[in-house]
Amino acid sequence: METRIENHPILGDTKKGKPVTFTYNDMEVQGYEGEPIAAALKAAGIMVHRYTKKEHKPRGIFCAIGRCTDCVMVVDGKPNIRTCVTPLKQGMKVQTQYGVSADTFDKQQRGV
Amino acid sequence: MKRYDLIIVGAGPSGLSAAIEAAKRGMNVIVFDENERPGGQLFKQIHKFFGSKEHKAKVRGFVIGKQLLDEAAETGVKVILNATVIGLYQDKEIVVKIGEAVEHYKGNSIIIATGAAENMVTFPGWTLPGVIGAGAAQTMMNIHGVKPGSKILMLGSGNVGLVVGFQLLQCGCEIAALVDAAPRIGGYGVHAAKLARTGVPFYLSHTIVEAEGDACVTGVTIAEIDSSFNFIPGTEKHFDVDTICMAVGLSPMSQLLKMAGCKMEDNPKRGGQVPICDEYGRTSIPGIFVAGDVSGIEEASSAMIEGRMAGIAAAEYLGYIDENELNKELASLDKALSGLRQGMFAPENRGRLIEKTDEGIAVSDSLLKKGYVADDEIERFPGFTHTKGIHPVMECTQNIPCNPCQDACPKGCIKIGKDITALPAVDDSVSCIGCGMCVASCSGQAIFLVDETYEEGYASITMPYEFFPLPEIGIKGKALGRDGQIVCEAEVINVKSLPAFDKTNLLTIKVPVEYASKARFFKAE
Ligand SMILES: Cc1cc2nc3c(=O)[nH]c(=O)nc-3n(C[C@H](O)[C@H](O)[C@H](O)COP(=O)(O)OP(=O)(O)OC[C@H]3O[C@@H](n4cnc5c(N)ncnc54)[C@H](O)[C@@H]3O)c2cc1C
Ligand code: SF4
Ligand code: SF4
Ligand code: FES
Repeated sequence: METRIENHPILGDTKKGKPVTFTYNDMEVQGYEGEPIAAALKAAGIMVHRYTKKEHKPRGIFCAIGRCTDCVMVVDGKPNIRTCVTPLKQGMKVQTQYGVSADTFDKQQRGV
Repeated sequence: MKRYDLIIVGAGPSGLSAAIEAAKRGMNVIVFDENERPGGQLFKQIHKFFGSKEHKAKVRGFVIGKQLLDEAAETGVKVILNATVIGLYQDKEIVVKIGEAVEHYKGNSIIIATGAAENMVTFPGWTLPGVIGAGAAQTMMNIHGVKPGSKILMLGSGNVGLVVGFQLLQCGCEIAALVDAAPRIGGYGVHAAKLARTGVPFYLSHTIVEAEGDACVTGVTIAEIDSSFNFIPGTEKHFDVDTICMAVGLSPMSQLLKMAGCKMEDNPKRGGQVPICDEYGRTSIPGIFVAGDVSGIEEASSAMIEGRMAGIAAAEYLGYIDENELNKELASLDKALSGLRQGMFAPENRGRLIEKTDEGIAVSDSLLKKGYVADDEIERFPGFTHTKGIHPVMECTQNIPCNPCQDACPKGCIKIGKDITALPAVDDSVSCIGCGMCVASCSGQAIFLVDETYEEGYASITMPYEFFPLPEIGIKGKALGRDGQIVCEAEVINVKSLPAFDKTNLLTIKVPVEYASKARFFKAE
């Protein structure tokens, strides 16, 4: 994970929680307990958090402080979770959000 | 409903400062903040602050934040986190959302210290993942320890864009370009110069044509604009970047005040919709006060003083102190605040083109357009001399409220005088011992130690260096000029890191003597 800042010239080592594993769609991803879900995704190189309902446009982190709602995803089955301010836990199930669902638009259209 | 003497909304520098002053005077104070941790913007700021000793100059923002939190705890201030205030009524009742619960509190007085929100600009592709706010970049890198991107374009040349740009370099990102639609750099020249000498190119009078990419940003095109903001055909430039960072200004978050019925005004000099208030934060509703960025975009240093003023004014409003004491306390804070509001970047000078410094020296045109003082401009400033032996060279050429360099020198080599916005000058009558304290204390990283007689044919240059990896003694590389271009071969001859330098390392290189006035940065081979 080279996107992690291991040693910072001013801040030194960033304090991290204990390592945890969670799933992003069907993939297993590592992160640190207590950090925002969005930080763990970013560190793993995942940029797209959701697709908008009408135009199916991708969205990712924008404000990182819980204000813009661009980063919402389906977390443990619940949609619209702001991943930039939601702490990561072991075993969390994080899914891309299509509109307001974890089902892809295709699947939503077919109604299955 | 719970009742408090004073309810404060926002635990940033202004809210915390207000809380401390009020609690010290015996008031029962509660502070609400929507975040998981207190401190507002301070914990994202890792650079040394400007100002004077009384403004905590040369202390890094996050350290000031820790000091404020300690003081708040000592004085018994109660801070409630993850608590978003969603309503404020004329009778000083607030509605606050804590998790899923909605609670009501009543205050005998209220201070709104909600700070500011980031502005954004739109362009084709602006909603793509990879386009982020400068605040988001700071939060990711300085709070969560994750790089916001690898190759970045920064839009905005105000202090936020410049400071966040430098922080991005410090955490190992590359900045492809710093772009601003304005014809001149908006932030402090010393902040711009720190970026320029590492090789970051500045594009003024340019803006983004479009961000490219399907799922996320893969590139960006910028172009020059004319005075009516139209793109000039043929001036397009393309950069392969994965991140576009926007630092295009802040707007006061004053909605709660409007909701309560405070008289508001649209004031571009204060950053937008702001409450009408006096200099101590009293709004049109008695007992409702404001402090910090919400009452006009400024800085953490002024936000802290405004917070203290509002806290003291609230104490007087409720009779915890009398008018005499109020006036006595406010007088000294007035002085501290007016010290910060002077110089070229003072609120009343916003948007004005200043051609000469207070000393009557023509300002550097290159600094405003390219981010660095040109070689043929630097000689005219009083910080730049060719004294024999080791001596300080201060490349600080704008009147800004800052003077830690003067305080740092044990010998008195650096003179600013009583007026803290005066340009630092070298006093040739005392000799420098080369201790490096000035270099490390300079908030703008604008001081170098130069010895033109270091060795036959060679000069030594000592520079502030806040990057990793730290080059080792003996390493050879290239010296870069103020413009970030290679000027000559260089060798590292000393690296000094002392606790007193507070993480600013001092890197000394040796260069052929004819480059002594040009070499200002080092890149290892
Ligand atoms: C990149 C950057 C560099 C800077 N560099 C400097 C510098 O060198 N020197 C300097 O002096 N200043 C600097 N500043 C400016 C400084 O950070 C701000 O001026 C200062 O933080 C303002 O303080 P504040 O208390 O008004 O607001 P903030 O620090 O923004 O704090 C406000 C707090 O209120 C909370 N809040 C808002 N609304 C609500 C609500 N409804 N309910 C609950 N909580 C709420 C916010 O989340 C926040 O925590 C810089 C700013 C930036 C972005
Ligand atoms: S190196 Fe030391 S003695 Fe020389 S000017 Fe700087 S602080 Fe003063
Ligand atoms: S040279 Fe002095 S006045 Fe200028 S930025 Fe540095 S410390 Fe401040
Ligand atoms: S990125 Fe804006 S709410 Fe999460």
